[in-house]
Amino acid sequence: MEQDTTLLLGRLLGPTGPEVGCDRCFEELDRYVELELAGVDADAAIPGLRAHLGGCPACREEHESLRELVAGERRAA
Amino acid sequence: MGAVSLPSIAPVDHGAETHPSSGSLAPAASTLDQESREWLRGLRADGAERDAAVARLHALLVRAARFEVGRRKHTLPHLRGNELDDIALEAADDALMSVLRRLDDFRGASRFTTWVYKFALLEAAVKLRKRAWQGREVPLEPEAWDVLATASAGPEAEVEQREVLHAVEDGIANALTPRQRQVLLALAVNGVPIDVLADRLDTTRGALYKTLHDARRKLRRHLEECGHAPLETEEH
Repeated sequence: MEQDTTLLLGRLLGPTGPEVGCDRCFEELDRYVELELAGVDADAAIPGLRAHLGGCPACREEHESLRELVAGERRAA
Repeated sequence: MGAVSLPSIAPVDHGAETHPSSGSLAPAASTLDQESREWLRGLRADGAERDAAVARLHALLVRAARFEVGRRKHTLPHLRGNELDDIALEAADDALMSVLRRLDDFRGASRFTTWVYKFALLEAAVKLRKRAWQGREVPLEPEAWDVLATASAGPEAEVEQREVLHAVEDGIANALTPRQRQVLLALAVNGVPIDVLADRLDTTRGALYKTLHDARRKLRRHLEECGHAPLETEEH
């Protein structure tokens, strides 16, 4: 329950730092995922995107899907 | 066409928006990998060569859309397999239109296939969220207030958290505009998907997120004015 309260506060107050918006997130998502999969510091390359994923469940889901799809494809290659 | 047509995801915020979204940091076209170059050449060709490239692209998008449907089908347990596949095919069709319309936006910042996948995943995800909420009422504000009141009154809440929650409730009631209050409570408390709410309020996902972002900033400022230290939060 305490954890529920923490999560509720997280959803209400959102990410702490600066973040990009949904539009910019979509524009950069493919590059971000490829940097992640290459082991490069994607957060340094695209500041604010990680924070946005923390605050926007829809973009977070789409990031997880793209990452999983591309990673799976590369494993299979 | 998917209700979140891609260019309509409006610009959002400040802070990290330090460079334009046109991909100015992306590599020049000359640095494209061989496979991406071949995709672009085929899609920009004429006649049968273009038709073949479009057919291959569509097949790729169908695969990505089916992948997304497969990931999220548990959210729609009442749908049969053929209905789910219809959603995937419709998402792929819409994604194909978006990709062809925005072909010149591809700058080679990723592989071409990674770039196109995100269109199919977005279209499929949006359709599935909307389908899951089809016919459902979007919860109204009073239900959200009940959630907040329960959380802040529960014996499990730490004293400090309880005080913060009370201050948050006060901020929502008094520091936000009616629109900010409506959007924040629907998205953050009632769990309405942002695409669904955008549809019901006849706006875009990007515009709604901007409203949510502004509401959150106001709430944080209100908490500080109430004497609460800035909170580190992680939403997941």
